[in-house]
Amino acid sequence: MDEKLVDITSKQYKEGFVTDVEQEYVPKGLSEQIIRQISAIKQEPQWLLEFRLDAFRKWQKMTPPTWGHLKLPEIDFQDIIYYAAPKKDADRPKEIDPKLQETFDKLGIPISEREVLAGVKSKVAVDAVFDSVSVTTTFRKALAEKGIIFCSFSEAVREHPELVRKYLATVVPSGDNFYAALNSAVFSDGSFCYIPKGVKCPMDLSSYFRINASGTGQFERTLIVADEGSQVSYMEGCTAPMRDEHQLHAAVVEIVVEAGADVRYSTVQNWYPGDDQGRGGILNLVTKRGICKGEGSHLSWTQVETGSAITWKYPSTILKGDNSASEFYSVALTNNYQQADTGTKMIHLGRNTKSRIISKGISAGHSQNSYRGLVRMNPGAAGARNYSQCDSLLIGSLCGAHTFPVIQNSCPKAIVEHEATTSKISEDQLFYCNQRGIPPEEAVGLIVNGYAKEVLQRLPMEFAIEAQKLLSVSLEGSIG
Amino acid sequence: MDRLYVIGRDEVPQRITLGAGESLRATFVFPSRVDSALDLTVDLTGPGAELDLAGIFVCADAETVDIRMNVRHLAGGCKSNQLFRGVADGRSNVRFDGLVYVAPDAQKTEAHQSCNSLLLNEGARVQTDPQLEIYADDVICSHGAAIGYLSADEMFYMRSRGIPEEEARRLQIMSFLSPVLSRLPESAYSLIGFQR
Repeated sequence: MDEKLVDITSKQYKEGFVTDVEQEYVPKGLSEQIIRQISAIKQEPQWLLEFRLDAFRKWQKMTPPTWGHLKLPEIDFQDIIYYAAPKKDADRPKEIDPKLQETFDKLGIPISEREVLAGVKSKVAVDAVFDSVSVTTTFRKALAEKGIIFCSFSEAVREHPELVRKYLATVVPSGDNFYAALNSAVFSDGSFCYIPKGVKCPMDLSSYFRINASGTGQFERTLIVADEGSQVSYMEGCTAPMRDEHQLHAAVVEIVVEAGADVRYSTVQNWYPGDDQGRGGILNLVTKRGICKGEGSHLSWTQVETGSAITWKYPSTILKGDNSASEFYSVALTNNYQQADTGTKMIHLGRNTKSRIISKGISAGHSQNSYRGLVRMNPGAAGARNYSQCDSLLIGSLCGAHTFPVIQNSCPKAIVEHEATTSKISEDQLFYCNQRGIPPEEAVGLIVNGYAKEVLQRLPMEFAIEAQKLLSVSLEGSIG
Repeated sequence: MDRLYVIGRDEVPQRITLGAGESLRATFVFPSRVDSALDLTVDLTGPGAELDLAGIFVCADAETVDIRMNVRHLAGGCKSNQLFRGVADGRSNVRFDGLVYVAPDAQKTEAHQSCNSLLLNEGARVQTDPQLEIYADDVICSHGAAIGYLSADEMFYMRSRGIPEEEARRLQIMSFLSPVLSRLPESAYSLIGFQR
């Protein structure tokens, strides 16, 4: 059986095409001048320019973190284009460039409301981001009737500056870490979402990020604010073309959950992972953090990570409000030469706060897959409780699976529990499938999907189906 | 080989190598009311090597216990089991940092690690970092860590049957520690504040 574990085919990354549109760029490199230029293109107010410059100065004094279990290629920050946007056609300023429309159609992203209303696609409001700009946001009007603001970050800065200013960088400060500081200095677009008090968002909200231009990086920023008693489910997806060189993606996501509010944040990350020799692929270095600010608030993270050459990502929750709760469900799959160092942080500050971590790592090929997490019980977190379970599955003898949890407890009325196991797909399981006429490759897909089921079932329906397919596709070629 | 090490009293090795077919059963006691530290690397270098290691600490005052374990499976077909149990009271500070490393090709490895602690006082603090670093696929590895407090239900059960609070508390702690406590000779009980 082990002899059969050889790479025989390379999987096809079907989202790897390039859209041929005219784009405008800022010059390569990073300096105060470039930041001023980005800010000017976006016609930003003075306070935001100052926020950027302040972050840039902090970033200049920082060094990249090295604690990840990753072999990170040297990134030349002066060799990146920090802003790229498709040129707008002056004749049709209100409509989307047909080429972009085509791109998102091809990716299966419903950016036309007509299709959705006709019931062809499920009802989801989409903010579609292409390189550095948001090209369209659907269902804005329908959402606005309920008082929900869902738009691109740039629009939010123009139309709701008071809200942006109130919440920006309150969860991830501009100097939080090297990549967050970089993002704060050069962030281009992303989504902004505000759910007013007591409103239950009538449809799922979604952002779709597409990297297209070469030599660029994507630095989107997402800010979600759920006011008291509100409810929203938010999904995020992403893809990029196949290229031999690495491209940087350094995003920041901030989520503020007020008292009694409920936010579900789901990600299916499918950036280009590089080829089977480990050439190219996206360097996915992102900071995601939410705060359960008020009493009884709830934040749930679900992520399916199958893409990117390197993933460095720790969606975290600060449980500040008493009785607040947070969950983290993750499936991270690495194949070929991919590397993932991902996990979560649960910081318990409030009383009776609860958190649950379920992480499923799958490594195949020559990949390295690590879970890294922190659970901290502060002295005031009486009655708090955490349960973490981190499982790893190894496919083939050349990959690695690692678990690095940190558990800190300084509250004698709090409980933390952590469990981790590592295993492989057993020959019995494979035999059982083969014997019933299921070929080995399909059998592995089946077993992996079963293994990841606990997480997959947390995803919204559309996403879950896509994630299941992705898991099978990403594993193609890992077993012969 | 069955060894008992009392930190601060006995000479404790920093590195142990177990070759093919060798086995070691070792128990480490971290005495109460003194700072103690253990920094130990165990290399399993030949098939069939077996390690059965346990540790116990009962912190009562302001002591610091610092445990660093590094168990390295450098050859296949070895077994290791680590079991740590402890209590942190007073203003004590406990740190457990335990790595299980499985080298490439160290197939048929079986490695387990568990570190559970009870936190008994506001001022005490426990940090546990159990880590797995695994480069071979045909392995069975697990680790578990928990930090909690005394169960109110168990307390009620004993108190309602006439067992005084102090005694009930002591019994609960002893029962929690018993998987490691049972490995100690009675003469070592006093080191961790238990009399029999």
